[in-house]
Amino acid sequence: MKHMSLLLTFLLISSFLLAQDLKIEVVPDNIQMKVGASLALDASVTDESGKKIDNRRLAYYSFDSRSVEVDSTGKLTAHLPGEHQIIVVSPSPDGNYLRKDMKVYVAYPPVTTIKIDEVPEKIYAGTTFPVKITVMDAMDLVRDDATVELTSSDTKVATTDAFANIHAAGPGKAEITARHEDITTRLNIEVVPNPVANLEISSEMNQARTGDVFHFKATASDAEGSPVSDAPVTFSFQGQADDVSSSASGLIKKDGRFVADEPGIYTVTASSGPFAASKTVKVLPRNVSRKIEVVGHGSVNTKHTSDFWVWEGIDGRDYAVTGTWGADGTAYFWDVTDPSSIKKIDSVQVDARTVNDVKISEDGKICIISREGASNRKNGIVIIDVSDPSNAEIISTFTENLTGGVHNLFIYDNHVYALSNGEKYYIINIEDPASPKIVGKFELDTPGHAIHDVWVEDGIAYSSNWDDGVYMVDVGNGIAGGSPENPVAFANYEYPSGAHHATFPFHSQSTDKFYAVMGDEIFPYGLDVNSFNMAGGFLHFVDFTDLDNPDEIARFEVPGAGSHNYWIDGDLLYVAYYNGGVRVVDISGELMGDLYKQGREIAFIVPADPDGYIPNAPFTWGAQLHKGHVFYSDWNSGLWSAKLEPEKPKDVNVESK
Amino acid sequence: MLNLNDPIMKRVKFLLISILLMTGTLIRAQDYYVYVTAESEDEVAVVKFDGESAETIERIPVGVWPAENEGPHGITISPDGKYWFLSLAHGNPYGTLYKFSTETNKVLGTTELGIFPASMQISTATGLLFCVNFNLHGDMTVPSTVSVVDPVTMTEIKKVTTGVMPHGSRISPDGMRQYSVAMMSGELFEINTVSLEIERKLDLDMAAEAFSNGGKEDMPAMDHAAMDHAAMGHSQHNQMSAHAQMKHSKIKPTWVIPSPDGKKVYVAANGNEEVLEIDLEEWKVSNRLPTGKGPYNVEISPNGRYMVVTYKSDAQTGIWDLKKMKEVARIDNSQKVSHGVAMSSDNKYAFISVEGIGDDPGAVDVIDLNTGKLVSTAHLGKQAGGIAFWKIESAP
Repeated sequence: MKHMSLLLTFLLISSFLLAQDLKIEVVPDNIQMKVGASLALDASVTDESGKKIDNRRLAYYSFDSRSVEVDSTGKLTAHLPGEHQIIVVSPSPDGNYLRKDMKVYVAYPPVTTIKIDEVPEKIYAGTTFPVKITVMDAMDLVRDDATVELTSSDTKVATTDAFANIHAAGPGKAEITARHEDITTRLNIEVVPNPVANLEISSEMNQARTGDVFHFKATASDAEGSPVSDAPVTFSFQGQADDVSSSASGLIKKDGRFVADEPGIYTVTASSGPFAASKTVKVLPRNVSRKIEVVGHGSVNTKHTSDFWVWEGIDGRDYAVTGTWGADGTAYFWDVTDPSSIKKIDSVQVDARTVNDVKISEDGKICIISREGASNRKNGIVIIDVSDPSNAEIISTFTENLTGGVHNLFIYDNHVYALSNGEKYYIINIEDPASPKIVGKFELDTPGHAIHDVWVEDGIAYSSNWDDGVYMVDVGNGIAGGSPENPVAFANYEYPSGAHHATFPFHSQSTDKFYAVMGDEIFPYGLDVNSFNMAGGFLHFVDFTDLDNPDEIARFEVPGAGSHNYWIDGDLLYVAYYNGGVRVVDISGELMGDLYKQGREIAFIVPADPDGYIPNAPFTWGAQLHKGHVFYSDWNSGLWSAKLEPEKPKDVNVESK
Repeated sequence: MLNLNDPIMKRVKFLLISILLMTGTLIRAQDYYVYVTAESEDEVAVVKFDGESAETIERIPVGVWPAENEGPHGITISPDGKYWFLSLAHGNPYGTLYKFSTETNKVLGTTELGIFPASMQISTATGLLFCVNFNLHGDMTVPSTVSVVDPVTMTEIKKVTTGVMPHGSRISPDGMRQYSVAMMSGELFEINTVSLEIERKLDLDMAAEAFSNGGKEDMPAMDHAAMDHAAMGHSQHNQMSAHAQMKHSKIKPTWVIPSPDGKKVYVAANGNEEVLEIDLEEWKVSNRLPTGKGPYNVEISPNGRYMVVTYKSDAQTGIWDLKKMKEVARIDNSQKVSHGVAMSSDNKYAFISVEGIGDDPGAVDVIDLNTGKLVSTAHLGKQAGGIAFWKIESAP
């Protein structure tokens, strides 16, 4: 009864309080400030009649105190321009707190400077060039929001457009004015007569296959036939595809490199002012397709399969290890000596829910597997003796600094490179595999950095760091004086879309170029662990021949599917494309443009299995070439092998460089 | 003559209807609903218990990186029951706070927090949400933070630096103080939910020792600078100098819960097989309650009578009578790795999340607080973790 009385009293008081319809009022209601200014808010709690309520505390919170700061008394200080938000709260221990959301408008400082850069030293009549416009304000901030209008004092000499291009119309002097409101900057230019009297275009090849790169050169000369080396030249192309319903697409670079996607006739034009020269070339089908056929299958249909590795054991037979995903921490060992008869020979179960990655030492004696989802949350790695893969035995478990989960790992020269908590990788000496010890660590210092994979080859660790792209780290190569104890980063490339999942180094023997093949991992449609799935993303080919100036030059993108792990052998790329199965790609010669459109795909095979963990739902994880067979693991069906038919001579007449 | 439209009469009508509804609710059969995270499945389950049997009625996939485990860890329901909030531990590298509708279980908003965000709660006094950034796998010498979030706009307002690996956290019944415990530095923090500043900090190892020593606050056993860390098996690589200065909490507090009267908080001393009672007025340990192995999460029934503690290492749950200050029941959980606790608002049941090992399904054990018996178990995705009581509904 006592409790009931209390409840009634509480409800009555609450209903009266609510009926008072209290609210927070703040003066000024419309807050407009200048950068650096302060403003004291006059806030109070009032009832429905507007009467101020005493003894109500007020608190102030800024959503971005680096832009607008507010102290406990309601004093605002504006630090950065823009529209910002604060809330005023009147707390109440009975739960009837009040809240008012307010916008704070901080005016942008006035524009003070407009800069015009990247103006050619010599401007020839008839040419067009872009300039770089930079607008700065009183806070010395770059103002990309400020629109700038370019005008010319004499349109017979120069004209301008809305995209910061200046067209040199004729010889003479002109003043180019850049204006934003009342701020102007003037640029005096002098257009000189164009000495070019002749323009010629050439290329080493007159015909090639789709995907082959032409190198066009343009030579400008004056009336006397002397070269004009500083004449600005632009290249463009138009074409007619052999297939009447296909676009004659391709890619042309500023330096005259051109690649065609479709067979057909293409005309490349070089122009410099009023002069132009063209050359027409023939592009033939690449004609590289071959058959690929399934050879064998080792089924795993009780759980998802993750990564795998195939190796020659110390007994000369061939073996594979596969991990499992979102399951019971099992890794399976297989005899794949006969790829048509893949036999499960042993398994190891560890405390984990995902064994995401597995690797084998160069001598075939040591297997390392990663742990995620351990019940004791210690995760780490497990080192296994696979001298006899039929009797795989755990040597040690190592968790130091790896408790956050190891998503990927690599083994190289008696060291394990193990990712830790998606932030860094540790380098662990396993010369004594029973007593691993950390000897080094690599971690970026960028804000919010992450890491997804690491691959080591020739003493260089290639770490894939998502938004931060690939980092090449000397861990014994010598290029930067690094070692496992002292890893030294020496090159980096990041692409704007981020989502960088894995890197595979590719030394092109046919061109002597060095590429980093950088893969995305994207799931634009999510992932249903119990159903068919589709992935997205592609491989980025980055020319690292000049380590200091990496150049993203090509891509391999399969429509409707997404890249995952891959393998390169010679000039062939074997890439697991999740729902797209395994794709075998010709990456011979110079690479440029869209390799898929160029018909460089040689073959593909999709591991659909009606008896899979999820039936008929291919989701290929990785691929590896081993002794002439393509092995690949599939998330829903286990381990597979396939055979690509040998390359046959093609009846194609192609000039070689 | 009574005028039913009179404002006073309107309120009387409201009260009478409320009482009738409450009475009716007490008589009719009731269904209980909890939200539970499945940390290694990247899903959240809704579990319904009808008084006899519990079942998972909905499984909600969460996260954005499908091929990786993002680890849904902490979960809380807004005071009005309209929203549930979820912390996803693993990001790139920061974790994320999600806001869902309880009506549709669809995402309404997100905001990035610190590394491995974990437990959280909304202050009824300000409406702001407080979430600890556990940073479980981070540097054991670096303090982490409590994120303060406006749950309306899903904006992080402030990060309050606290201790190393803050895990358990709860807000006082009046909403004015947030309590969190830092597992590795062994500290209890009290944050003013209005000023967003730390008001008090308590070294729990020293406070517990002081209680046992009759109030003396010296603790020579915790002089870590004098310890032989090499002999303790620590790595000798480049963090050795930092290790020499770090404090290793012996008691490793993993959870804190204020009593409903707001006078005390109870701390799970995971490393010391006990629950510490802290007197908030005195700001010191007022009792040490021996428990099973690995006390992990603690909750108290709304009426203040029962304290329920999961014993993670023993796969058991203890029920304590707080009037008698005595453990009155110890229940075997349905499988290994007992984790979280949620209490029904009517003081009748405790819902225990149980992780399992490997590919064991996660579980929710329902325990009758009056009988101290396991009533039913519902299964969900792997590694059941964070758990939050949502509502009681009259059965149709």
